[in-house]
Amino acid sequence: MGDSLNDCIEIFTQDGVLLKQAQASYMSYINSIGTLYISESLNSSQKKFIEWKPNDITVDSDIQDQEWAVVNTIQKRTRTLSGNFPPDYQNRVRCIMISLDEVKSFRVANKYRHLTFYDGKSEALCSFVFQHGNCEGLIKGVLGTILKTSVSKRDKHLYIVYDANTLEIQQLDRSFAELNLQSEGSAFWKMVKNIKEHPYEATFEAFAKVTDYVYRSPEQREIDARECEDLNRSISEYENTTTTTHSQGDYEVIAKVPELPPRKDFPRLRPMTVEQWRGHLNFDGRIEDVDSIKTLVFRGGITPSLRKEVWKFLLDYYPWTSTETERQKLVKAKSDEYFMMKLQWKSMTKVQEDNFSDYRDRKSLIEKDVNRTDRTLDFYAGDNNTNLQMLNDILMTYIMYNFDLGYVQGMSDLLSPILQLIGDEVDSFWCFVGFMNRVIRNFDIDQAGMKEQLSNLHTLLAFVNPELATYLDTHDSGNMFFCFRWLLVWFKRELTQEDVMRFWEVLWTGYPCENFHLLVCVAILESEKDNIIKNEYGFTEILKHINDLNGNLDIAQMLNKAEGIYYQIKEADHLTDDIRMLLGLPLLGNQNSYGSHEQSPFEDSAELSNGTQPCCSVENVRISPDEGAYERALVASFL
Amino acid sequence: MASRKKTLLKVIILGDSSVGKTSLMNQYVNRKFTNQYKATIGADFLTKELTVDDRTVTMQIWDTAGQERFQSLGVAFYRGADCCVLVFDVTAPNTFKSLDSWRDEFLIQASPREPENFPFVLLGNKVDLEPRAISSKRAQQWCQSKNNIPYFETSAKEGLNVEQAFMAIAKNALAQQNSTVDLYNEFPDQIKLTNTQKPSGGSGCCQ
Repeated sequence: MGDSLNDCIEIFTQDGVLLKQAQASYMSYINSIGTLYISESLNSSQKKFIEWKPNDITVDSDIQDQEWAVVNTIQKRTRTLSGNFPPDYQNRVRCIMISLDEVKSFRVANKYRHLTFYDGKSEALCSFVFQHGNCEGLIKGVLGTILKTSVSKRDKHLYIVYDANTLEIQQLDRSFAELNLQSEGSAFWKMVKNIKEHPYEATFEAFAKVTDYVYRSPEQREIDARECEDLNRSISEYENTTTTTHSQGDYEVIAKVPELPPRKDFPRLRPMTVEQWRGHLNFDGRIEDVDSIKTLVFRGGITPSLRKEVWKFLLDYYPWTSTETERQKLVKAKSDEYFMMKLQWKSMTKVQEDNFSDYRDRKSLIEKDVNRTDRTLDFYAGDNNTNLQMLNDILMTYIMYNFDLGYVQGMSDLLSPILQLIGDEVDSFWCFVGFMNRVIRNFDIDQAGMKEQLSNLHTLLAFVNPELATYLDTHDSGNMFFCFRWLLVWFKRELTQEDVMRFWEVLWTGYPCENFHLLVCVAILESEKDNIIKNEYGFTEILKHINDLNGNLDIAQMLNKAEGIYYQIKEADHLTDDIRMLLGLPLLGNQNSYGSHEQSPFEDSAELSNGTQPCCSVENVRISPDEGAYERALVASFL
Repeated sequence: MASRKKTLLKVIILGDSSVGKTSLMNQYVNRKFTNQYKATIGADFLTKELTVDDRTVTMQIWDTAGQERFQSLGVAFYRGADCCVLVFDVTAPNTFKSLDSWRDEFLIQASPREPENFPFVLLGNKVDLEPRAISSKRAQQWCQSKNNIPYFETSAKEGLNVEQAFMAIAKNALAQQNSTVDLYNEFPDQIKLTNTQKPSGGSGCCQ
């Protein structure tokens, strides 16, 4: 970048900004809260930068900044638009500094609370979550005036940055620089001198450099032809593809695919019994050892007669630490809260409803879906079934509980087994809320949560079974859309009601790792691999084949295999940080490795990660250790 | 050029939630109706062989989710479609109002070569139900305004007009495919090495 950090003015600052994603060298700051700046270089280049620094490094500048602060009632929220130096400017330690020139697009999510910058080569430069307010002002007020942007046609949350005028000039500059003709004058004059003394040789040498440029830098030459549409495509491709082997610039898999350690068998145990459960409750009804309960549930599920009680804990309705008396109080309070929300929609007048199309649409969609949810089960069969009425009322009340989300198809599927098991309207509602909290991103309006999961699934599959992942990539199926139904409603449509209850309670424990449901998908896909590849299935046939597995899945086998896969991944020597993040494992955080692969021999890192030598040939994988970052990463929990 | 290879027609059914997309598809392919179909999640398809103008074709009928937010995934399924079937419920005015946006969305996402000539067929479903909210005349007017889209009034429940509607869909899809094939006439038909039968005329064959 070359610009001195001190020669900048700030155009925008925002505090309470959490770093969600960044280049590998900043790994240890991920999930830290800090301040985001947009600044401009004072020298002739007038380059602009995105900068972010974590809170704990320097003095908080809120007090000094008050001069420009927009006064807010919510404490510690400042947003400034200013052309002046903040007083403590010189003291700042800069953490992340990215030139705005590098930003080719940016994307907002979650009502302007989440902002991600992309470099146009399918890589996210960095991603932030705005904890105080949102980034709407930043985008519309600041970025919108600095950069030429347009909203993507395919994704209204994606802003494409383009600047045709300057790109051409930069391109020309760069092409000269590439030829090394004018850098500091010396090379150029040397060449002139050479031409004079050895005309043929020198001329050909110069031409050789031209061909070098022409043949070796296709990427740069394409830049001036790049337009909105291309960027658009690159971003959507980014969303659809995996980046396992070259994701963050910190690993470089050059040739051989490393092998996973052998898979172990994890047979399922018997469901947790009433005696086992009771044995964990102390005299006032508090659970003594939560981990042990969760382990029992994870290993074998819950005996059906006990489910009703334990689900309330698993679904965060009852706190694990509560006593029997506390729970009774809680139920009373939650019951009042439920009926208050229910009354809100029950008491809506016809005029109110007529003037509220959003509400009408939701109401009508719920009515339609309730009428076609699990009607083949006795519990929901027949006309004028009161259980259907409860299903309807809970979903309607959920609209009042979560106005932003409302009702999305799939939610009735998630509620159906809960209501069937719990039976009580209020308790079912709060258990449903607990489940929804875990899967709420499945119902994002732009489907971002689903797309992210499909992409994560691909990443995991590529790590566990590269052959299948490559096959899918080359057969139009790298987008993993054929797993959409599995993921949206957690296999509800593939399993019987009894199996789905068992499967869900196991997943609700959150054991043995985050995103375990994705490993279950990997396990099933692996079982179907031979069918898919031998029959040379394409997109259509794969989708059909996967849809037709409905009713033929053995959950014990699925879970057993998925757990085996988990330990294989965990113990793999070439385990990368992106996979670690997906599974909530501690990150290795290799600060020194970014951009300096050569200095980090592989041998050291293998010793650091688990103290053993690699069991397979992975000499081409290079990761660099940093014990400090490793320790920090241990503390950081990644969502 | 007469083609000997098997013809596959890809058809996409679109329309609001609960207008009867899954039911129409199942009535046509399996001649079955049940009111126990669940809301479609993701996408699925059924295939049916039929004869159109003495030619055997396989129709692949794609059924998708009706809620608007799931459409962002549509592009993967719309690709290569030969005909798009729009469905509304004659008793639910909102489902008729959405037709424009379904049509537009399809054209944007599938981006067919000639959007103005891409075949659509409109089905007004649930004519067995009362009270009727959208008259035939109104639906036909909409069809005329969209370059004369064929219109059928159906009842998936009673199997009314379903066969006729899908025959029209197949014909339109086939016509669309033939017109696209003409564009690629410079490419010869696929040559099957195991095929002992001599292709009936046509260029590029090498027996």
